[in-house]
Amino acid sequence: MDIRAQVSMVFHLDKCIGCHTCSVACKNVWTDRPGAEYMWWNNVETKPGTGFPTLWEDQSHYKGGWELKGRDGNKKLELKSQNKIDSFVKLFYNPNQPGLEDYYEPWTYNYANLFEAEAGDDQPTAIPVSLITGEPMNIEAGPNWDDDLSGSTFYAENDINLEELSDEEREQLFEIERISMMYLPRICNHCANPSCVASCPSGALYKRGEDGIVLINQDVCRGWRACISACPYKKIYYNWKTGKSEKCILCYPKLETGQIPNCFQSCVGRIRYLGVLLYDADRAAESMKVPDKALVESQRTAFCDPFDPEIIKMAKANGISDEFIKAAQLSPIYKYVMKWKIALPLHIEYRTMPMLFYVPPLLPVMGKMANGIYTNALDNFFTSLDKSRLPMKYLARLFSAGNEDIIEYVMKKLMAVRYYKRTLDMQDIDLVMMNKMMREGGTTPEEAEEIYRLTAVPTIDQRFVIPEIQREESIESTCNPEICKGSCGIGVIQPPTRGL
Amino acid sequence: MTNTLLFIVLPYLAVFACAFGSIYRIKKEPMSYSSLSSQFLENHGLLWGSLPWHLGILLILLAHILAFLFPSFWQTLTSNQVLLMAIEAIGFGLSILCLIGLVVLGIRRLTSPRIQAVTTPMDLLVIALLLAQVGLGAAIAVHCKWGSAWCSGTTTPYLWSLVLFQPDLSNIEDLPILVKAHIVCAWFFILIIPFSRLVHLFAVPIEYLFRPPQQVVWNNSRKLNEETPAFAKEETRRHFLNAFLGIGFGAFLLSVGTLSKVFSFFFGPRLSEKEETELMEVRLAHLESTVDQKKLELERQASKYIMVAPITELNPTAGKYFIDYKMQPAIAFKGKDGYPLLISAKCTHLGCTVGNKVDSEGRILCPCHVSYFNIETGQPNAEAPAKTPLGHLPWVIMDEQGKVMASRDNKGQTSCFVQPDALSAGKVYIAKSLEDKTT
Ligand code: SF4
Ligand code: SF4
Ligand code: FES
Repeated sequence: MDIRAQVSMVFHLDKCIGCHTCSVACKNVWTDRPGAEYMWWNNVETKPGTGFPTLWEDQSHYKGGWELKGRDGNKKLELKSQNKIDSFVKLFYNPNQPGLEDYYEPWTYNYANLFEAEAGDDQPTAIPVSLITGEPMNIEAGPNWDDDLSGSTFYAENDINLEELSDEEREQLFEIERISMMYLPRICNHCANPSCVASCPSGALYKRGEDGIVLINQDVCRGWRACISACPYKKIYYNWKTGKSEKCILCYPKLETGQIPNCFQSCVGRIRYLGVLLYDADRAAESMKVPDKALVESQRTAFCDPFDPEIIKMAKANGISDEFIKAAQLSPIYKYVMKWKIALPLHIEYRTMPMLFYVPPLLPVMGKMANGIYTNALDNFFTSLDKSRLPMKYLARLFSAGNEDIIEYVMKKLMAVRYYKRTLDMQDIDLVMMNKMMREGGTTPEEAEEIYRLTAVPTIDQRFVIPEIQREESIESTCNPEICKGSCGIGVIQPPTRGL
Repeated sequence: MTNTLLFIVLPYLAVFACAFGSIYRIKKEPMSYSSLSSQFLENHGLLWGSLPWHLGILLILLAHILAFLFPSFWQTLTSNQVLLMAIEAIGFGLSILCLIGLVVLGIRRLTSPRIQAVTTPMDLLVIALLLAQVGLGAAIAVHCKWGSAWCSGTTTPYLWSLVLFQPDLSNIEDLPILVKAHIVCAWFFILIIPFSRLVHLFAVPIEYLFRPPQQVVWNNSRKLNEETPAFAKEETRRHFLNAFLGIGFGAFLLSVGTLSKVFSFFFGPRLSEKEETELMEVRLAHLESTVDQKKLELERQASKYIMVAPITELNPTAGKYFIDYKMQPAIAFKGKDGYPLLISAKCTHLGCTVGNKVDSEGRILCPCHVSYFNIETGQPNAEAPAKTPLGHLPWVIMDEQGKVMASRDNKGQTSCFVQPDALSAGKVYIAKSLEDKTT
């Protein structure tokens, strides 16, 4: 066993209001530079929808992530497109790399014209100009171009997670004026079996030993772009100006000083949780070698119980500090993922073992209507799951590699918690009924209370349990902080400019 | 003077600048060290430009390097007619592929506004230089045929003379201007590597083939110093490896000559007294044999006649080699008229020894760069790199007593003083008196 610590995350989708505050908080700090204008290390997608870059989930085109190869007993994980040999040919031209068209051409407006235009009959306008060429341009796409456009035949219908839905289910989903949708904020998952790291020809990508943050060393990156295709979540972006790739850094400079990452701190819906998970690095890739539907369970077998004295001993032997172990014990992530089992990884079938988990949204399910009226008749309480407007099948495609049982388990539990609290407050449900529901939902009053507390009324310290990273003794991966104090940017030792 | 500048000073300057410039850039300005791909901005043109260009140029460079590093191997390859043709044809095809790629890349750079946003003047210079260089290469393939064969007698020794710090221009001095331009262009190319995007040449990620898929880097120095998984020290090693691979090739070229000498001076084996005497003896023996040879040469030059062969031994299709007064090779045949036919065997192109087998068209072949010479007229074939004919040598036929039976002078005039049948008893000689006049 090789116990490691991972700073991991939970996003509670029921609480996300799709305000994009997180995206802006991130952009203003990290990607407001030339070459990075189009990057959204954090973005929020409307689902069903095609996302950013367009149709990023279509791995038959982008070929990201791992593939399970080989026969029983000798299963192997192979990168879907970037195996060692074809990586060399793809250095010259990579057919799986998304181009600017798949994102959007960044632009600004010619504001100066508002002040400087000659006097005339017409109101002066600020026309859009490209941030790349500086030429006037037509805006044809932008970040969140299909925001709130669920139901549109132009965008949402192309969502590949809808593939398996019947016509009837689709119709229901996209019914005019009763469209249901959800928001999916995405950052890099800081995977435990990252395909981006494995694909990098220059070896510029690495996972930090202490906290599992996945980073690109800008000094080592040679712009081969293999990681961009290899990351199935398309969370690595190519800086067209510097000729290097960039990705979410989980605000590590903030984390290291005990602060909360920008997108987490700014989140209006307070949907985000951050904490330490202990996992067995030897099992990381191993646990991803099971059939799709077993992946969620399999991933959980790689996580370790931070209260188990054996684990604590091994963790310490492996150099994990007491502070980290303490953080792991207090971790909200451990509760959501392991204790309550209601937070699920996104698209685990890509087998990168993502370390960001989502509590699936309940509301669209509850929104199931009979003649347009919101019902919660208790006898069809759980049966409404089958007829929910955001079908289980769809959620299963997103969060459990198609395993509907897992989604159902989560949904039932979430509903049970909700009705438990309602019963306590409103006393409008009969206790026998409630007990039955709690049983079916697989929860107990104590657990339900706990889930409710952490979900609805947590303090900031409960949401973010940031371990002390002892920066004073860390030699930073690219440069010793003593030496590079005051140097610019993200740990690089020279200004990030383009070479000749 | 210009030659010295272009072919001796420039190369050393270029390699030196390339090695040190690249190391400096890789170490001190790693942020600028990138392939600077523009696929993100423009996809389609890149496919039709970058792929043909890179695949073509890589194979061509490989052939150049093989010819330089393993001259004898390369020579055996190219001495086979069929292989030679194949190599030439493939090479030409690849250079056309490269040219197409380059033109596409060039057009893309000049017409796409997005690409222009990331184009520096240096990028344009690089494309221009590459176009010129590949164009020259293709022109050489057309105008100075069989370059893959003649390089082993010309450019390869020149390059090795540079590597061994004994620059010797004699091998390339007489090369056509096209070839010289190609060489100079190549040196310029090496010179600008560290100052342009070409530095990405050194970034070829060879180590990717051997590294484990996942990389973990520990921040904490305590952990770093502990004996933990193999990746722990990866970081520093990787930096080192990168730089090492990057400059390895350049450094290799530079160091082969000097280092081995310096090394053997300090660390080479010391000789014992006995070994030293033995060495002296060997040297003495060498000297003596040289003296003998020189004596022999002198003697030959002093004697009036030099015997070639009894006339009966001459053959119309398989010539007999001999050495003339000027210590140059020549071949003796039996001519169509029954008289001896003596022809110089020193190729008028670059001086290789011409073969002695006559082909069906009455020609002999210089194997170095494929010139065919007609033995009757001495003329080379039209496509041959050799442009002037091989000379004929005058001869006399004498009997045992030293009586001249027949002779041919340096104008090709034959005179016979006996019955033609009687000639078969004679021996063929070249005569100094006659030969002198030919010069
Ligand atoms: S999501 Fe996973 S594969 Fe993608 S960049 Fe992040 S760590 Fe790498
Ligand atoms: S800031 Fe929070 S609530 Fe707003 S979009 Fe981002 S994750 Fe959702
Ligand atoms: S030396 Fe060049 S053809 Fe003979």
